[in-house]
Amino acid sequence: MTIKTARGQGLVRCHDCGQLSKIYLQPYCPLCGGHLQARKTLSLHKTLAFSLSGLILYIPANIFPIMTITNFGKSEPHTIIGGIMVLLNSGMVPIGLLVLIASILVPLLKLIGLALLMLCVYRQWQVNARLWTIIYRIICFVGRWSMLDIFMISILVSLVNLGGIAQVVAGTAASAFAAVVVLTIFAAKSFDPRLLWDNQPQ
Amino acid sequence: MSNLNNLYATTEPELNKKAELPLVWLLPIIAILVSGWLIYKSASEKGPTITISFPTAEGLEIDKTKIKYLDVEIGKVTNISINEDLKTILVTAQMNHGATSFLNEHTSFWVVRPQVGLAGVSGLGTLLSGPYIEIHPGDGHEKRSFVGLKTAPVLKTNAEGKQFILETNNLGSMRPGTPINFHGINVGEVLSHKLSPEANAILLTVFINAPYDQFVRKNTRFWVDSGIDLSAGADGFKVRTGPLISILSGGIAFRASAQDSVSDIETENSVFKLYDTYDQSTQIVYNTTLKYVMYFNGSVRGLTIDAPVQLRGITIGKVVDINLEIDEKTAEIHIPVIVEVEPERIRKINNLDHVSDKDVLNRLINKGLRAQLQTGSLITGQLLVDLDFYPNSKIIVSNHPNQFPEFPTMASSFDQFTHSANIIMDKIAKLPLDETSKEINKTLKSLQQTSTVASETLHTAKGGLKTLDNTLLSTQQVLGNFAAGSSTQYQIEQLLIELTQTANSLKQLSDYLEQHPDSLIKGKKEP
Repeated sequence: MTIKTARGQGLVRCHDCGQLSKIYLQPYCPLCGGHLQARKTLSLHKTLAFSLSGLILYIPANIFPIMTITNFGKSEPHTIIGGIMVLLNSGMVPIGLLVLIASILVPLLKLIGLALLMLCVYRQWQVNARLWTIIYRIICFVGRWSMLDIFMISILVSLVNLGGIAQVVAGTAASAFAAVVVLTIFAAKSFDPRLLWDNQPQ
Repeated sequence: MSNLNNLYATTEPELNKKAELPLVWLLPIIAILVSGWLIYKSASEKGPTITISFPTAEGLEIDKTKIKYLDVEIGKVTNISINEDLKTILVTAQMNHGATSFLNEHTSFWVVRPQVGLAGVSGLGTLLSGPYIEIHPGDGHEKRSFVGLKTAPVLKTNAEGKQFILETNNLGSMRPGTPINFHGINVGEVLSHKLSPEANAILLTVFINAPYDQFVRKNTRFWVDSGIDLSAGADGFKVRTGPLISILSGGIAFRASAQDSVSDIETENSVFKLYDTYDQSTQIVYNTTLKYVMYFNGSVRGLTIDAPVQLRGITIGKVVDINLEIDEKTAEIHIPVIVEVEPERIRKINNLDHVSDKDVLNRLINKGLRAQLQTGSLITGQLLVDLDFYPNSKIIVSNHPNQFPEFPTMASSFDQFTHSANIIMDKIAKLPLDETSKEINKTLKSLQQTSTVASETLHTAKGGLKTLDNTLLSTQQVLGNFAAGSSTQYQIEQLLIELTQTANSLKQLSDYLEQHPDSLIKGKKEP
């Protein structure tokens, strides 16, 4: 099976304006002056660096309290998992599951997915490029939804502020978790799915 | 194709410039640093795990109950279980790193719950937040398992001031938390009380806050300032009350003495006597006292311990003891009254160093100083011992055995009065009233006879009076004859006219004879 690629044809597409140019006649797009590259610069490095950073921050995001709820003078710090456990124990199973998926599974699966994608490219595994591209799209799409937890906390912090009676204060994990989400989005964006196709037999 | 591949190949190394590598890889390094620092920080904040046993776990909750020092959270409860003895509970707590130095042998823990009492309201914050465990750091060896206090200690953590010991005989309404006033300012409180080792007094540990602790000096007096102090002494009635809070819940007050200077500030844990009343505390304590025993004749009712001993109205001592003694040999009853004379109350002039106070007093006794019981107050009937000079009186000493020298006494003026009254009564009693009354009886009897006779006489007299009446009646009739218009009256009138005429002629005759005495012989001359 032979796939005709633009690069195979000696063409490069401008990332900014989409103009096709002859490859490396000049490093700039003749139309918009954008930097011409056949593939995203340092794609694997960047993806790996962002993913690793995300993975590292994923640890404090889960062991530290994401928010401290003060209810009638009683301060209770909650970790992400602790909050999910409270939700599940108090019978709010759907919400618990939603938070579980959005806050724990999605970042984790995203990191695993990105790791696999990178492995595919790096090891030049002969995989179903179409399937992995779909996985990549899902990863890109679903990434932003992990911000659900952060949005919820930011709304709670601003709304529930009644001093000693009821107060929500964001914890260390909130920042770490937000960083994890942003970093994984960056990691996904810096991955060039075309590299999957480059590995395919020409 | 190969051309293009070559082109790609030639450009590829250009893209993998080594210079760009660290820039991207800075991010994971930063991430490692940040999370590493966070984890290290939280791990380093974790201190030791301790266990505290409490009598009850009321209000304590796992992961929610905090351990606080000065309202700063330094740990939290991680587990609550029943102790092995099945009587207390065991709280396991995770302490912060900074709390390690607090966990020593004398560190105390107690549960802070809201408290409402007469002395005030505390721990209101725990109404909402639930109780927390308060810690008071102590010294000693490091320790990890503690026994919690049943109640919160009264002493606030790190309050500045001093502790003192007050000695009293009766705890009364004093208890931990009883306020201590200084000129009405609440400056401290009672911390605890315990029985003295000899069980003859109660030792109160009190705490006086700075800066008022400096007023606890050598001559500072503490007294019980609780309730209404109504006293009836030889000097009349007295009512004294402390502040309202003290009336309700008891209190202690103290006052500094003007004699003390800053150098007399007492050190911590000095012992003071706690006086029962304000009056007691105002009495100056004299160090040298002379004790005498006095034997009074008659009753000492109204004489009480602490009754004043006065010399010409000025208090120089007090009664310290009143006893009752019986001499088994002679079956005599004595009442030895022990008095304490404070010679320091008397200012000395022309001081002689070699003469002791006792000698001086002996000289005074020789000069006629005697003790007398006198009524101090007519209302209360309290007695006092009055000393005065009776130079003519003999020194009467009973010489009953007593450890104190005897002070000669005299019967009191009241005693003297009752004595003379007794004598008069005796004399009256001795009068021969029986005989007298017999005589009187006899006299009365003869008087009765006399009156009977008199009555008969009167009866006779009555008959006489009747005769007299008749006589008067006839007299009236006689007189009626002489009434106006009667013939007798007319005749008498005529008689009187004639008599007048006769007298006139007699007068003419006598006049003529006077002028012509010769006519008696010669006869009347014819004019």
